[in-house]
Amino acid sequence: MRVVIAEDQALLREGLVALLREHGIEVVAQAEDGPGLLRMIAGHKPDLAIVDVRLPPDFTDEGVRAAIEARERHPEVGVLILSQYVEPVYTAELLAGGEGGVGYLLKERVGDVPAFLDALQRVASGGTALDREVVAELVQGRGSSDQGPLEALTPREREVLSLMAEGRSNAAIAEALVITGGAVEKHISNIFSKLDLPATDDNHRRVLAVLTFLRATDAAQ
Amino acid sequence: MTASRRDWLLDVGARAGVEAAYLAVGLATSVLALAVWIVGVTATLSLVVFVVGLPVFLLSAMAFRWTAELDRRNAALVLGRPLHGRYRDHKGEPFLARLASTARDRQTWKDLAWLVTHSTVGLVFGAVAVGAVLQVVAVWLMPFWFWTIPDGVDWGLWNVDTLGEALLMMPLAIPLAAIAVVLLRLMSAGESKLATALLDSPGDVAAERPLRPPPDLSALLTPQALVSGFLALLTTLIWAFTGGYFWPVWVWLGLALPLALTLGIRRARREPPGFQRRFAVQLAISAVLGGTTIIVWLLAGRGTFWPVWTLLGLGTLLGVHWLVAMMWVRVFPGVREQELVERVDELTRTRRGALDVQDAELRRIERDLHDGAQARLVALSMQLGRAEENLSGQPEVAELVRQARDEASAAIAELRDLSRGIAPPVLADRGLAAAVEALGRRSAIPVSVDVELDRRPPGVLETAAYFVAAEALTNVAKHAPDSHALVTIAMDRGRLVVEVADDGPGGADPAGGGLMGLRGRVEALDGDLRVMSPAGAGTTIRAELPCES
Repeated sequence: MRVVIAEDQALLREGLVALLREHGIEVVAQAEDGPGLLRMIAGHKPDLAIVDVRLPPDFTDEGVRAAIEARERHPEVGVLILSQYVEPVYTAELLAGGEGGVGYLLKERVGDVPAFLDALQRVASGGTALDREVVAELVQGRGSSDQGPLEALTPREREVLSLMAEGRSNAAIAEALVITGGAVEKHISNIFSKLDLPATDDNHRRVLAVLTFLRATDAAQ
Repeated sequence: MTASRRDWLLDVGARAGVEAAYLAVGLATSVLALAVWIVGVTATLSLVVFVVGLPVFLLSAMAFRWTAELDRRNAALVLGRPLHGRYRDHKGEPFLARLASTARDRQTWKDLAWLVTHSTVGLVFGAVAVGAVLQVVAVWLMPFWFWTIPDGVDWGLWNVDTLGEALLMMPLAIPLAAIAVVLLRLMSAGESKLATALLDSPGDVAAERPLRPPPDLSALLTPQALVSGFLALLTTLIWAFTGGYFWPVWVWLGLALPLALTLGIRRARREPPGFQRRFAVQLAISAVLGGTTIIVWLLAGRGTFWPVWTLLGLGTLLGVHWLVAMMWVRVFPGVREQELVERVDELTRTRRGALDVQDAELRRIERDLHDGAQARLVALSMQLGRAEENLSGQPEVAELVRQARDEASAAIAELRDLSRGIAPPVLADRGLAAAVEALGRRSAIPVSVDVELDRRPPGVLETAAYFVAAEALTNVAKHAPDSHALVTIAMDRGRLVVEVADDGPGGADPAGGGLMGLRGRVEALDGDLRVMSPAGAGTTIRAELPCES
């Protein structure tokens, strides 16, 4: 996997680069601001861009803006936002810009190396990886009225869907909800049919289901 | 004479004039004080054996206070501010408790002490002041009046009875004036110091009793007119039966005088307060008295026009009043109003400045946390993760490292909550509209947001407005979970207005903990928070924050 990184804090950037190299992921370029990131994505055509929210010059949300632009210009490149705080507004904006290949994780999740590498793989191959706190905020904020297609889902199915949004595997979902793998599969196929998703490969359907879920929660306010 | 020296002389003269006026008014109040304290003390003491003495004591204390209040106001002439007496508040207390608290109020006894002292010291000082001023004027103007004294003016060893001698006396007015100035300065300083000691109590008693205004005599106009009319009619009828000299005209005059005074004062009190009103009141009284003397002269068979002296006296007093007012303005130009306006401006500015600094400081702390401690903890967590990876051969150690990483994560989460409490990042990054929309999205109830702002308000206002909306929405979700909420934010005549309305059951407690916290935040910015929550008709919380740019 080939990766570019936009992170202005040297300490974190060096740590991240070292960690990725240890696991055979090639860091082809490092950017320090938004325009730099866009140039490097255009020049190196990486599989994935890892972007900090706060970047020079103003240290506000330059990273999110650059990521949205990158997704518009290069939809084939996955974008993973790393941030020190959860901001559902930014997640919503990212998700609005395309189908998959997007993630938003808190920086400390990098410490759980296997999960982090897993998230990188998923985003690079067009899936999603949302921090469980992002999902929690979105779910918590779900208003009681108009939820579009989600209204057909049972509470259990919603739970399964929100765990899917975090990017958990079937086995992880089964473990979290203390049910069997078979039950999880049954819930997921119910979700797919209730949300009226086309019968393509399972991975893509998962992404679509999650996006439907997140957009519905976003529209519900 | 240089301009500065002339100014200095004018200032000295004006100041001496003001001090003379202060002592002269003090002379008048000292006479009043003498009457008030003697009557008050004797009446209370002689009646206290009967129960009636108790209310008389309260009345006396009130009279002491009113009389002392005159001297408090008078002190403004030389001190530039009226003195401020603090009294215990006994509003609504039963009679005996009022009695006790008035008796225990140190200011009551200080008032009495002042009246007793002032009725001697003030009397002497006032008489000396008036005498000194008259002496200087008399010596200076001697050529104009020495001839009115048949045997000449006896000036100590020297008898002034020719114009030459009188002219020679004139320069003597200069050293006399110098002595008078020093004397006036010393006496007014002494009297005002004494007044400050006894009548001014800066902030020691927490609860303060407001001064009850003296009864408004002008309200008695109608009954007074009726009674006067009746008496006039009665006396005229009596005269009609008895005949002789038409004496009722004197009764009419006697009845008309207070009536005219009441009317005149009532009219004068419509003037704006301050010098204009005081001057108008004096003018009205002078006009009534002058008019009365002229009528008396007419009724008493004319002859020499003696009322000229009354008119002259009244006119002189009016002139002195006007002069003193002008001098006071010179000594304390625009004093109180100007000072207060400046002080309020300054306090508003400095408080706003302090709040701006505080807001900027909090945001800096948030940024420092983000880039400093939080970033280091994230780096630590990353390194621990890498260490864990390399410890797959030693599962016990790997477990310890994992626990350490969890601790780091918990610390990071705590710092994150702390930062969010200072100001959520989206507020700093995107402004109020985005932040409040995010709030609505995160809320457990459906929220509509309508923000209309041309430009971003100052940071401190943004933060306050954000927390008003956040706290109000939390309250709605807690107390009216089935309702909808509407957040409106707009500028209205230089004020940033934040309104959160819901269609819930209403009946919110405006003194609730969360709302009180909000009120403090809003009021610190000179804003205003209102809670409208009629039972059954939803709750609206409206904050208005002044936002001058």
